[in-house]
Amino acid sequence: MSEAASTFNAIETPAAASAPRGLFSWVATVDHKRIGILYLLTTLVFFVIGGIEALLMRIQLARPNNNFLSPDAFDQLFTMHGTTMIFLVVMPTLIGLANYLVPLMIGARDMAFPRLNALSFWLLPCGGLLLHFSLLAGGAPAVGWFSYAPLSEAPYATTSGVDYWTLSLLILGVGSVAASINLIATILTQRAPGLTIRRLPLFVWMIFINSFLVILALPALNAAIVMLFIDRHLGTHFFAPANGGSAVLWQHFFWSFGHPEVYIMALPAFGIISEVVPVFARRPIFGYEFVAASTVAIALLSFGVWAHHMFAVGLGHPVDLFFAATSMMIAVPTGIKVFAWSATMWGGAIRLTTAMLFAVAFLIQFTIGGLSGITFAVVPIDWQVTGTYYLVAHFHYVLFGGTFFAVFAGLYYWFPKITGRILSERLGKLNFWMALIGFNTAFFVQHFLGLMGMARRIYTYPDLPGWGLLNMISTIGAFLLGASVLILLWNIIVSLRHGKPAGDNPWQAWTLEWATTSPPPAQNFDRVPPIRSRRPLWDLAHPENPDPIVGGAAARDGFVLEKNRVGIVSFLITESVFFLMLILAYLYYNNHDMNGPTPTSMLNPQRTGIYTLCLLASSFTIWLAVKKLERKKHSAFRWLLTLTILLGAVFIIGQGREYLRIFHEGVMVNSNLFATTFFTLTGFHGLHVCIGIIALLILMALAFAGDFKQGRIEAVKSIGLYWHFVDAVWLVVFSVIYLRLLL
Amino acid sequence: MTTRQFLISAWNWNPWVITICVATILIYSARNRFRFNRKTGWLLAGTIMFFLTLASPIDTLADGYLFSAHMMQHLLLLLIVPPLILLSLPSAPVPDRFQNGHWKWLNWILRHPLANWFLGVGGMWLWHAPMLCNAAVSNVWIHRLQYVSLLLMGFAFWWPILSPWRKQRIAPLAGMIYLFSACLGCTVLGIVITFSPVEVCSIYLHPIDRLGILPLIQNLWGLTPAKDQQLGGLLMWVPACLIYFCGIFALFARWHGETGDEAIVPESKTTKTHLQKSHGH
Repeated sequence: MSEAASTFNAIETPAAASAPRGLFSWVATVDHKRIGILYLLTTLVFFVIGGIEALLMRIQLARPNNNFLSPDAFDQLFTMHGTTMIFLVVMPTLIGLANYLVPLMIGARDMAFPRLNALSFWLLPCGGLLLHFSLLAGGAPAVGWFSYAPLSEAPYATTSGVDYWTLSLLILGVGSVAASINLIATILTQRAPGLTIRRLPLFVWMIFINSFLVILALPALNAAIVMLFIDRHLGTHFFAPANGGSAVLWQHFFWSFGHPEVYIMALPAFGIISEVVPVFARRPIFGYEFVAASTVAIALLSFGVWAHHMFAVGLGHPVDLFFAATSMMIAVPTGIKVFAWSATMWGGAIRLTTAMLFAVAFLIQFTIGGLSGITFAVVPIDWQVTGTYYLVAHFHYVLFGGTFFAVFAGLYYWFPKITGRILSERLGKLNFWMALIGFNTAFFVQHFLGLMGMARRIYTYPDLPGWGLLNMISTIGAFLLGASVLILLWNIIVSLRHGKPAGDNPWQAWTLEWATTSPPPAQNFDRVPPIRSRRPLWDLAHPENPDPIVGGAAARDGFVLEKNRVGIVSFLITESVFFLMLILAYLYYNNHDMNGPTPTSMLNPQRTGIYTLCLLASSFTIWLAVKKLERKKHSAFRWLLTLTILLGAVFIIGQGREYLRIFHEGVMVNSNLFATTFFTLTGFHGLHVCIGIIALLILMALAFAGDFKQGRIEAVKSIGLYWHFVDAVWLVVFSVIYLRLLL
Repeated sequence: MTTRQFLISAWNWNPWVITICVATILIYSARNRFRFNRKTGWLLAGTIMFFLTLASPIDTLADGYLFSAHMMQHLLLLLIVPPLILLSLPSAPVPDRFQNGHWKWLNWILRHPLANWFLGVGGMWLWHAPMLCNAAVSNVWIHRLQYVSLLLMGFAFWWPILSPWRKQRIAPLAGMIYLFSACLGCTVLGIVITFSPVEVCSIYLHPIDRLGILPLIQNLWGLTPAKDQQLGGLLMWVPACLIYFCGIFALFARWHGETGDEAIVPESKTTKTHLQKSHGH
């Protein structure tokens, strides 16, 4: 090992590493650093827009019985403010930071899939513009960021605002999922030698876990949104109670995404704090394993607590009881983290830079937000204060006082790395104190307003004792907060021109991103230092007193993964959740008698069974085809590939004939809930089969053109896996829809 | 009848259950030469859980009265008793007769996590098909078959995680995915049972009051058939997932506790010398 310590691990550098210049080079870039910067700039624009929306609402609420805004304008503003801040600011900011930092922190040259990375970014401005286009097309959505049905259904939300909302969220969702798949593949396969998973910087670890949350939670939203869209445009009844649909199902679907989403917005912030606090307290993080494990705990539990958003719906005592218990449970791992950060600072040589100030404020404000969150787990309190400003205060303490303060801390911490210049500390301190005072003034009083019964989402309020005063205080605080953001912008502009040059490692930090120049060269590293602990730069600077070696001498984890495989498996995981939601909807609605067509009268399990056998056989042939390709038997491979496509085509034709038969009976997708759920579920599966067939056709064309002979067969294996997945989904769908009829 | 009277009187001293429990403890202790350690504790816990499942008032309630009690039995047999028993077994290399001899086929099944996964999750789903669920409550032999099969499927499910034959355990990361996906499988069924008006086990809708405890259950405890089914669905959904999560944390702890060389040298003694060597370099 002593040899490795003296020589760096060389990374091959590209021939032309000089960065291209000009605007087009930014549009066409696939460099993760530039994409990261683009993410951050785009979100900054949306942050200002969302902030202005908030300030407009605060002006309206400054005085009782105010008529600065009309009720409808107010509805549009709070919907747009929520949607913008969550989907266009917080999530992409965190993804953008991860995009910039993760490859640097793991000593990689770029993300695993650079072009996919560019796609995920460009979906963000697309989605953002589409959402804001609704303003020109008859009005923004005015149904709240969670778009509760039936308010969001066609009869009640008559402008096209909700349609733009659904499409834009779908696009943004796809972008986030693609970015997360990329991050998972990057973290699993692109790490520098020696950086085992157990030596990962905590920011990377939390981004890793967070990416799993994204690929598991976002498809739930996407499925719900697709159903809402079908409801609005094809006249179906998923969430329309007038025809037997269930508005509560929308809430279940939405919050089964919505609660993990809370942690999607919090975990990366935890990661930032876990980097900033140790560096400025000059101590390694206290209880690395506990911080890492509690992240896993939060991620797992976050899927089992969503119904606490729905206590007021009336789900019944047993349900309330269970979800109150799990909601309280999730406070434990979060508490562990807060204790770990506090313990890291305890006895440390704390340097109160602006970044550290924001981190400390995060700790206090997030704890306040967390504690008020626990009160919501107590069902009777929830009944009392849900839908009031107490809730608004709570989640702003978590999201602004928590996540945004962490992002500001991260910005002051990493800005030198990104630009090569340090942000002015003088302006930074001003920025911090104004933000701190402004934020707490704006939101702390809202706790009291909520407890006094002031309802959220109402455009004005009566002149009750104290309400006018508290609201005025809140508005003043909000403007102070807005001013602090202007100072941040000013600081960025000034420091970009005249800031103190940063050097490679201005904070004497320990993780790999500080081992390269600021800003990093296009290839990130010429050489990556040896990594044997969690603080490689500490080991480098203090060879006489290095950190203990983590996880033995092994330079690699026990497993070796290939990036295409990781990518396709992550993709299939997210697809499974999407189908899971569709299957749930089918099961939910088809368990009792209903008017109109029923499965028994419409479907023929035996006939479909034969087509099912064809699809299963095609799974076998593609498996065999890959085996043949591995043994370099190219003609057999082509032959089997063709057979697979034929079998897939037979299945699709069978499916089409079944559809035709049902159409002949006069049954359409909007006939009743059976037809709605049946056509949606089998239709989406059919779509996947068609995509699979197209992919196989491309493979076949390539194969006949003589490709794959050099042994680059990852693409074939990936598409093979996708095909198996499509077949497996059909097996489940077939059992749920058809086999049940035979039982 | 009051709750207290019920809890005292409703024990079912089934000779079969008692024989199995006593025999298990005796055989285990005899093979251990009556030395007690932590593994004995696991065995005792497992046996007590087994006894409570089949002899306590839970069994009486599950016998035609409460769907949720039936679900509790289900979870105990599938998710609690097997892992406890597996934890109590001393670690050992794979016996020869399982590698080459008569029992090779069993070894083949046990080595394929996908098969075990389907046995475990399938066990949950299969016995909740309305037809099978009703049959199990009304026919005593199908009922017994259900108990035995649940236990066996439970063992099969936990085998890749807790097998005493270390070589057959799957890697910790894979194990986490294995358990998490099983949780999803349960969740789906749990959600459907909780929120859908489906009658999973229609027999529980109109219980025959053999013991005269129906007023106690429905009036005093407030467990109407609708609430009972909701409770059953929730039991399968939330606590079942929490059990899987415990497994995931145990795997996480095991993974972080590894020295990193264990993948190459499984025995702890050699790992130590290996480590010393690498430090000496």
